[in-house]
Amino acid sequence: MGKIFDWIDSRFGVKQPHRKFLYRPLPEGVNYSFCLGGVALLLFGMLFFTGLMLSIYYVPSESGAFESIVRINREVRLGWFVRSLHKWSAHLLIISIILHTIRVFIYRAYRPPRELNWIAGSLTLIVAFASGFTGYLLPWDQKAYWATEVGTSMAGTVPFLGRYLLYLVRGGADVTGATLIRFYAVHVLYLPFLMFMLLWAHFHMIKKQGIKGGL
Amino acid sequence: MVRREFLKKIIKLAFTILILLWGAVFSVFVYPSRIRKKSLVFHYIFEEDSLPERGVRQVVVSFSKDGRKVRSRAFIVNTGDELFALSPVCSHLGCLVNWHRPKNRFLCPCHGGQYDMRGNVIKGPPPAPLGRLPLRIEGGRVFIGIRV
Repeated sequence: MGKIFDWIDSRFGVKQPHRKFLYRPLPEGVNYSFCLGGVALLLFGMLFFTGLMLSIYYVPSESGAFESIVRINREVRLGWFVRSLHKWSAHLLIISIILHTIRVFIYRAYRPPRELNWIAGSLTLIVAFASGFTGYLLPWDQKAYWATEVGTSMAGTVPFLGRYLLYLVRGGADVTGATLIRFYAVHVLYLPFLMFMLLWAHFHMIKKQGIKGGL
Repeated sequence: MVRREFLKKIIKLAFTILILLWGAVFSVFVYPSRIRKKSLVFHYIFEEDSLPERGVRQVVVSFSKDGRKVRSRAFIVNTGDELFALSPVCSHLGCLVNWHRPKNRFLCPCHGGQYDMRGNVIKGPPPAPLGRLPLRIEGGRVFIGIRV
């Protein structure tokens, strides 16, 4: 590593405790399908940084949301590119998490002592789905509106609690600007925070338990 | 040692109360404070002689809500022996249905729900028929009641 990093690390000490993890021998039977989780992490990183960029121009309001999206696509320099990256990374994230899950299932890497990590991974998939659902409303066009009308109506079909859940997710009786702001807050604050916590737990357990080798 | 155990228990209790309290405050806070009660408002649509003699006619009603222009749709149906108005809101998950004349059915674009002219379910996932809207005819003018 470079001199500057060494200077920092001689005081901060992040290298030594991770040396064992980063330079450990891998078990037999490991192949490229074991990279799917890493692909998902890379895509999450892409989403995080393109999301940070989009938040500079996006306006989460009933009257300004759609216009701001049009502006990002047409006026903002490289706006179309950053938004496309965000959109495609989102699609690919879901796909790569599902492929990663299938890989883990086939290799029986959910078995003790890794059950809790399977649970953390499942929660990650749920958070990714929730991010997709809340992000889908943000362009505030016809497709976004009706998808949210349908999606939130499903909450209304829960026995007994349905109506309260419906009002809670919509912030009122109908899908309005209140829903948009709710979804925006959840999309950019709640879910990324949850995702970071879950990924930290996920990687912590991989570090402690090691990789389950081939069949 | 007894004092230490006692203090530990007190601290645990304090944190438990804090977390529960925070959970309660959070759930009260995020629940919408004002859920607008919808009231039935009658809107003029057309003169009595514009009523369909037989069949389905779509009407669009424009009004302002919270300072914004809103357009709402409805269907006026005359089966030959009964005249009524149907809401276009699908009973499944709230999409708006369209009247498909060649098939003589209301079709929902979202999940393929189908209703007959009277609004009864023929096919698909809808759990209930289309809702009926109150229709009022006064002095040759037709009004439709929409929840606003």
